[in-house]
Order: sequence, then structure tokens, then C-alpha cells
Amino acid sequence: MAALAPAILAQDLSFRYPAYDSATAPQPVWQHLHLRVEAGTALTVAGGNGSGKSTLCYVLAGLAPRHTDGEAHGALHLADHDVLAAPPSPRLVGLLFQDAAVQLFNTTAEDEVAWGLEALGVAPEVIGPQVMLALRRFGLLDQRHRAPWQLSGGQQKRLALAAVWAMRPRVLLLDEPLQGLDPEGQAEVLAALESLRKEGATLLFTTPDFAEVAAMQDVSLLEEGALTAPAPAAGFAGQTQRLSAAGILCPAEAWEKLRHARSRIGAETALEVRNLRFRYPNGPAVLHGLDLKIPRGQCVALIGPNGAGKTTLVRHFNGLLRPTMGAAYVMGQDCASRSTGQLAREVGFLFQRPEQQLFAATVREEVAYGPRRLGFPDAEARVERALEHFGLREVAPRPPAILGYGWQRAVTLATLAALDPPILILDEPTAGLDGRGRQQLLSWLAERRAAGTTLILVTHELALAAAADRVIALHEGRITADGMPTEVLPRFSREAAR
Amino acid sequence: MSFSLDLYVPGRSWLHRCDPRVKLWLLLLGVALAFRWTHPLTQALYVTLLLLVLRLAGITGRSLGWLWHQMRPLVLLMLLLQPFFTPSGKILAQVGPLTLTVGGLNSGALLALRILAMAFLTGGLLFTTDQRALVQAFVRLGLPYTWGLTVSLTLRFLPAIGGLATTVREAQASRGWVAEGNFIRRARDYLPVLIAIVIGALRLSDQLALALAARGLDYPGPRTTWRKLQMRRVDWWVLGLSTVGFIGAWSASLIYPAL
Repeated sequence: MAALAPAILAQDLSFRYPAYDSATAPQPVWQHLHLRVEAGTALTVAGGNGSGKSTLCYVLAGLAPRHTDGEAHGALHLADHDVLAAPPSPRLVGLLFQDAAVQLFNTTAEDEVAWGLEALGVAPEVIGPQVMLALRRFGLLDQRHRAPWQLSGGQQKRLALAAVWAMRPRVLLLDEPLQGLDPEGQAEVLAALESLRKEGATLLFTTPDFAEVAAMQDVSLLEEGALTAPAPAAGFAGQTQRLSAAGILCPAEAWEKLRHARSRIGAETALEVRNLRFRYPNGPAVLHGLDLKIPRGQCVALIGPNGAGKTTLVRHFNGLLRPTMGAAYVMGQDCASRSTGQLAREVGFLFQRPEQQLFAATVREEVAYGPRRLGFPDAEARVERALEHFGLREVAPRPPAILGYGWQRAVTLATLAALDPPILILDEPTAGLDGRGRQQLLSWLAERRAAGTTLILVTHELALAAAADRVIALHEGRITADGMPTEVLPRFSREAAR
Repeated sequence: MSFSLDLYVPGRSWLHRCDPRVKLWLLLLGVALAFRWTHPLTQALYVTLLLLVLRLAGITGRSLGWLWHQMRPLVLLMLLLQPFFTPSGKILAQVGPLTLTVGGLNSGALLALRILAMAFLTGGLLFTTDQRALVQAFVRLGLPYTWGLTVSLTLRFLPAIGGLATTVREAQASRGWVAEGNFIRRARDYLPVLIAIVIGALRLSDQLALALAARGLDYPGPRTTWRKLQMRRVDWWVLGLSTVGFIGAWSASLIYPAL
């Protein structure tokens, strides 16, 4: 009897995108990859931001270079199907995209799952039961009439997964399935993946964070354009240096550096809210009368589940939101009387999703925008220092919009570093960052902390919260805990676990 | 990307349950009548009748209020400007080159009410029909599936593109941008926002194209439809009665051209 063909077999596979401009030669994203994944097994591909994980998924799914620019060379088979010669069917391979929201384009959850089955020409009387089965399988049956954009992050990922799974692909590719999810969402998706693995599905999932692969079986590292042979995750224990070099592990020293950086807490109050209430127009109340004082130089972590009101609270400090009732103060001055542009001298704000806030023609212009706007006499020197600090000199002449996620995040951090405001508010600063990016961020935070900058870290990452001077937990628009990390975090973890 | 232009409000009213093709027919007849009335009072009566029908079809005052809020600037603009562009009849006032006449006022009111009538007619369709059914109706009427899908995707993702403008504006403000200077200076400041929107839109459309391909958009063979549209008895009744009503109203307008 002939042996069963492997689910994925790549031999000497290389891929490159066209050159950025005519002066540079196209660089391979990765080259000479050899990959063999047997049917019914799971493989994790770990690689830093920009290592080519998404590209690998696109090539394996037959989307690149067919629907993108670029060239692929070598051989790639899924089961017996030659992927480079002909597009694979959705019955053969399914892909969960990094940004699930883009993958959801129907108006109800059940229509979302049905869409792919209709595309495959499945008989209408069979579609209904299959849709219900998939929704039940991923715990979404009671959400079937809701619009995908009304679901939480974890539910959106599960819905995208259900829509792909319903087409019964023999190979499931999952591109950073945990990215951008709060701990609850991550737990939901991990549970779904674990059950798929137990059922014997062939899975390949990618991650920029080695901490995520601890529970997985085999891991390949995508480093410097090459893929290592699969090895058990446990086998990487003690290889901290190698994993750090590959950009997928933030070394313990970086965390230590932030923890040990001593805050210079002053007597004055940097940020304050009094009886702060807020509701969006025609929406429910988000904040219910908060009172809070943060002294100058303190490092504060703001934690809580999605929808707790964390981002809504901090957006009052740079004037992006105005209180429905009560007041917010920055350095003793009421924010209501000042515009966001005026508050920019005192408050630096790091938004989520860096790719949506870059607008300049080059990285250098992007970093220089703030210092020039605020008329700093040493604007150019500030820009140079920020570019240097975040390792951006090499990409300084390039448009930030075409850079990868890691670079873009570094650019947004550099825009803040160039302004060097006395108060920094960072909204989910570690989201989507690989080990290398985290190391860069933590080192900068440690520096700012020691320099006396007031730091507000809005985060889902409890390790980051643990490094703060103070942790404030928010739940449904109310402060539920406020104290030292050692007091608040254990309680918060217990509540989250419940 | 947490919202959409989907105006559909789920419900069980007769209009909700009507086949979307019938609703498209009602829209067509309704718009034809809105263009037929030449007197502002008839048009006002027509708008009132439409409002009554929409309320009877279970469309909430909130939805209708929202629609009015959206249309208000255009309606007011027509009401204020149109009289000066179409002067006729008795002159009421004259200031420099501007002449206010009875005919002009009638024309402004007629146009403003006509816009309102068309907005309510379109609202009647969009508030009671989910996008999937609408696309299906277009396809059943002969439109290629990809065209229907394009309309649906545009409605789904257009607000997300609009949201990009807000995000970029906020990012700029948080780095020191303050609205100042003359119109040209402000327009120049807005240029980076436009660039960011174009880049964002291109990035989104690239991702969407990949997502659609991965889900089998180009899969060979015919697509099937999970929930097929089917004309029921009530649909035929609505179709018949609306057509008879339309013929009656149209005939009345022929007999009494002043209507």
C-alpha cells in the first residue's frame, strides 16, 4: 500500500516580493525552506515581526504569489496537490487571518459560516445543519443572529475559525491567532485550537511570542530567512539567547530592568479625575463617577477586561474625550479648557494599531511632525536621538505605511520619544510585539521611569502590570481595585480565572 | 472596524417579511410617484402617508429620526437655495441679484419634500431588509453575484475607511496639531489624512481580496444559496395592490395635472 502523502510538503521553497524601488534588488522573505507536516499533526512556526510568517501562510494557502506580488520558487504540495501550479481548494486548506475582522464580511454570524459553503456549491438543505454544527463546535450558537462586528475579539476569531472549519479543510493555517486578544479571548481561542488538535486536525500556527508555544508539540523557528527543523517546544528550554536573537523571546533581563528602574515620584499630582462620568452619544454609560489621583513620576498600570472603560478613561487626559460629568485634570489644569494639540506638550499618547496612525511620507518626517508642530528649537536633534534609540536610521527615508508591524510600532514609539513629554499614556503597548520589540519597549520605559516621566500603561499583560508602582483595575466603568501590584494582581487573576 | 453601514433593524412586520424584490418594486413605484407630484401640498401629503406606512411597518421613531437627522442639511439647503434659482410668479422680495418669488418658494418646498420622500422610501427598504437578502434579490433580478457582493462589502467597510480619518486626525492632534490658519493652510494640513486614508483603503482591499479568495470566491462551479428567496402569497398581494394603487395615483395625476 502506498504511504499517505504528507499534509504539507515544501521543498527548497523560496519567496520574494518585488524590490521597494528600482535602486534596490528584491530580497527574499525566506529561502530554501524545507517543511514536512504529517496529516493529523500540529506544528508551530515561531518568528519575530517581519520574519515572513504571514507570507508563509499565504504561500501555503495558495494566495501568494497568485493574489499578491512576488515570486515563489521550489516545490510545494498539500497532500498530492501542487500548490504553485494550481490554486488549492478551500476543502484542502483553510486560513485564519491575523486580523479576523477583515475576514468577516457578512451581516450575521450564521451567514458568515454559510458563505463559504455556498461558494463551494454545497446543497442548500445541507448548509443549514453544517452551519449550526460549526457554530456549536466553537461555542457561538447563541450568537448566530448577531453581526460579526458586534462580537468580542475572542468571539470574532472563533467565528472566523468556524467559517473556515465548516468547509472541512484538510489543513488549517492559523496566522497569529492570539494577537490582539485579552486574556479571556486568548483562553477561548486556545481552548478551540486544543480541541481541534485532539481531534487530529492538521494545524500549522504562527506566533511572534515563544511564551505562546509552551503548550504546543513541535516548533520550527523562522529566523534570518530560514526555517529550522521541527523540534519539541520543551527542547528549546535554556536556549534563551537563541530565541532572543530570533526575536521571539524577550529576555528576563529586560523585564528586570523595568522592574528595577526606580520611579522618581513627586509631590504634585500629574493626572486627576473627579467624579468622572462618560457616555458616548446615544450609547450606554461607560464611566460611572471615577475619582483618581496620580502623582508625578508614578508608573501606573490600568488593567481590566475589554469594555471596562480603560481606553475611555485615558482619552480624557489628552482631550480626545470630554467628560459627560465631572472633570479631568493634567498637571492641575482642567482638560476641558484645552485642545488635544495644546495638551500634547504634557501628554504623549500611544494609540493601538500603529498602522492606522502613520501619515507622513517618510519615517523621519513622521517622527519630526510633533517636535516641529510644537516648535521645539532642538527638533532635529530630538528626531535624530529618537531614530537612533529605536534603530530606525536604516528605514528613515522610507514611507512608514509600507513597513511591517514591528517597524511601525517602533516608529510610533519614536514619535513619542522625540516629544519627550512629562506624561506618557501607552494603550496596549505590547500588543502584537515580538520579543525584540518588547525588549526595545521595556528598555525605553525603564529609561523614562528613571527620568521621572509619569507612565500610564493600559494593558492586558499582567507581567507588564506587575512591573508598575501601582495597579488600577477597572470593571464596567468602575474602579474595582487600586494598590500595589502584589495586592491587586493576585485578586485580579483569581477573579479572571473564575 | 467595529461598525458597518448596515441599517437593517430586525423585525417581524409585514414589510420585514416581504420578499426584497417586492420591496424594490415598491421603491421604484414610490420614487416614480415622488417625481410625479408637482404641488408641494400633494408632496407633503405623500410624505405624511409614507411616514404612516413606515410606522405601520414597525419602523421605529428612532430609526426615522436618525434618517431625518442625516437628511436635514440637504433638505434645508434645498429649501433655502432652490427658491432663488427658479424665480417665477409673484415677487415677494428682492435684495440685489436675489429675487424671492411665490413660484420659487413652491419649487424649493417641492424639491425638499421630494428628497425627503425618496429618503423615507429608501429607508423603508434598508431598515427592513438585511444586506444578504438584498444582494440575493439583485442577483435574482439578473445582476452578477460579484456586483451584489461589491455593494454589500462597500456598505460593510466604508465606515471603517471613514473611521481612519478620525484615527489619523487624533494621532496628529496628540502630536501637537491645532486647527489654525486660513482655509488653504487647513486644507494642506488635511492632505496627510487623505494619504493615510488611501493607503488604509488599499491595505484593506488587499486583505479582503485575499480573504475572499481563501474562502472560495473563485471556486469553480455554481454557487448555491442557503436561504432562497421565494414569492409567497402575501408578496403577490402586496405586489398587486401596490401596482393598482400606483396606477390609480398616476391616473389621478393625469386627470388633475395640478396635483
